[in-house]
Amino acid sequence: MPESTPELRKAGSAREATLNYALDGAGTPRMPLAHSRGLARELYDRLELPRWRRSGFWTTSLQDLDLDTLEIRTHGPDASAPAFLDDQRSAGVLVQRDASVVHVELDAELAERGVILCSLEDAAHEHTELFERYYLRRLPIDRHKLEAASAAFWTGGAFLYVPPGLQVPAPFQIVYEISQGGSAQYAHTLAIAGPGSDLRLREYGLAADSDGDSLHAGQFELYLEDGARCRLAQVVDWGAGSVHDVSTSIVEVARDAWCHWLPALLGGALVHHHDEIAIAGAGGDMAFRGLFFSERDEHLDVFAVDLHETGPSGGDVHWRGAASGESRASFEGLIKINQGAQQSHTYLQFHSMLLSASAELDAIPSVLVGADDVSASHGGTVGELDEDLIFYMQTRGLTRPQAVRVIVEGFFEPLIVQLDDPPLEQLIRERIGVKLAGAAEEIERYALAR
Amino acid sequence: MAELEIRNLHVRTEEREILRGVDLTVRTGELHALLGPNGSGKSTLANTIMGHPGYEVTEGQILFDGAELRELAPHERARLGLFLAFQYPVAVPGVSVANFLRMAINAQRDEPIKVKDFGRQLDHAVKLLDVDRSFTSRHLNDGFSGGEKKRAEILQMAMLKPQIAVLDETDSGLDIDALRTVAEGVAKLHAEQGIGALIITHYQRILDYVKPQFVHILLDGRIVMRGGPELVARLEREGYDPIREEVGANA
Repeated sequence: MPESTPELRKAGSAREATLNYALDGAGTPRMPLAHSRGLARELYDRLELPRWRRSGFWTTSLQDLDLDTLEIRTHGPDASAPAFLDDQRSAGVLVQRDASVVHVELDAELAERGVILCSLEDAAHEHTELFERYYLRRLPIDRHKLEAASAAFWTGGAFLYVPPGLQVPAPFQIVYEISQGGSAQYAHTLAIAGPGSDLRLREYGLAADSDGDSLHAGQFELYLEDGARCRLAQVVDWGAGSVHDVSTSIVEVARDAWCHWLPALLGGALVHHHDEIAIAGAGGDMAFRGLFFSERDEHLDVFAVDLHETGPSGGDVHWRGAASGESRASFEGLIKINQGAQQSHTYLQFHSMLLSASAELDAIPSVLVGADDVSASHGGTVGELDEDLIFYMQTRGLTRPQAVRVIVEGFFEPLIVQLDDPPLEQLIRERIGVKLAGAAEEIERYALAR
Repeated sequence: MAELEIRNLHVRTEEREILRGVDLTVRTGELHALLGPNGSGKSTLANTIMGHPGYEVTEGQILFDGAELRELAPHERARLGLFLAFQYPVAVPGVSVANFLRMAINAQRDEPIKVKDFGRQLDHAVKLLDVDRSFTSRHLNDGFSGGEKKRAEILQMAMLKPQIAVLDETDSGLDIDALRTVAEGVAKLHAEQGIGALIITHYQRILDYVKPQFVHILLDGRIVMRGGPELVARLEREGYDPIREEVGANA
């Protein structure tokens, strides 16, 4: 193993170096953990804390975050799964609390049939071949300091493998918890759906409300092999504490595979998500849904990428976001169709709803097309609370807060109902309800001010 | 027995004064028609009765069973037993007719209505108003035709069982079949539930199907003439101009 990597010194990107390291005889890139750790550590030392400029007036900066004050907290095993999963049937549950995986359970029959659910640490040792074949295959680690930090320092982590042809109706549930303020959580999920498999995967990011800055630097990669199908949902609600969440999620959809992906970003002091879905094989198709609700003085920055590397391929991107309080939210959506990805068809839409006069909400769609026989377009709406609609419902006996709740729920409902997953739908509806209750007063003030 | 009493009501919007002293009393079991040309203040009256924030009452009173409504929010007026059927019902995206009705009914109760009771009431109402049960699983007013919207208004009225309903140009924009269904629905609710209704209209044709006992004519923000069904016949014959001249001469 080279101690320093000559690739890094080349002009051109270190990302390329990362991805192409150690080609084996068959040309498959492989990434031994020790090597990537070393590479990431070098990048970490060299790179600055990130700052994104989304548009003329929009900046997301983590440059004030003092990484040295954050603690890596470890915990012993916990026999029980989080209470909110109690009344659900799960195929398997993995919980990481701060820096430690504290709970893993997997349906015994699934384990027998070859499903693997374990910490990523264990996977690197016990399932080395699988781990090295997929780990960081598509995830960049060199674009900013926190990406590199996550790759250099992650502990615990989640590894899921579903073997070819296996259909698993109950969801796999992966939970990342931050137990108290002042913590750093470097998280990494690697999930692989073998050819023709079918699964549901949910990932949660949750935190106890507490004082002090925390960091969740997350990396998520999901590989859907040929003909695999997956319903993926990520529910992020870091609560009212000062959690900084900088995460990259990438889903790769191979030939004839399909993915329905919904990130639900429901809270966090500063959240920056790069969520990317790549159609890498002919016949690949996806529905990329997303919703967010920012409140108080939260800062939310989403970059959603719909990438078509080959055609024919399908895509349907539909995000909805609401902002209350003095929160600021930015949604940037990119459709990218690579050269030669003929017969790719995709559509990007984003709808927003402002719930307060001092909230800001921005949408920046863009389309980059490198092929001529394709269709790619975008659309969207910007909305505020409709006073006529509120009056209408009031005349039916609903209070103003009840009416507002109906409107906002109705705004998100087209996405929630498509989850086809009642317990998850219920969870998201409840969280939105709690947020609305918290925002009721300011929504009232907004109405009076208009 | 409930009574809605409007006394010397003056109402203005940001731009101008619209109602200039309206007196009108509607009791449970009574059918009233309020006729007036465009711009006479009909919709203003309907919206003001329900407490629309865009209208300011500058003088006069709106009393429900003797209690002043002015300080009450729209939902509080609804809970007292007032109902407004809108001229232009707005879409409630993402909420089915049935779910909305359940929410509205529960808003008026301490305990949520039992599923079975709700189902029974809904079955009865759709039968009474001759609408398809599948109609109630569609999102309220979302993509509805004009006739469907008005039917949904009357369906809500049937389910919420108000004491007194104001129907704001419920007949406008309807073809004759839809008009008949809606009008007959109102007549049936009057017969069955004994509601009082103030039917506000620009045309006279709805009154072929619902027979009001009291007819009022609103011109330029004032009720200028009152009578029985014979007034409707006169209006149909002569239009508003002779009435305008007659009361103008009196004024």
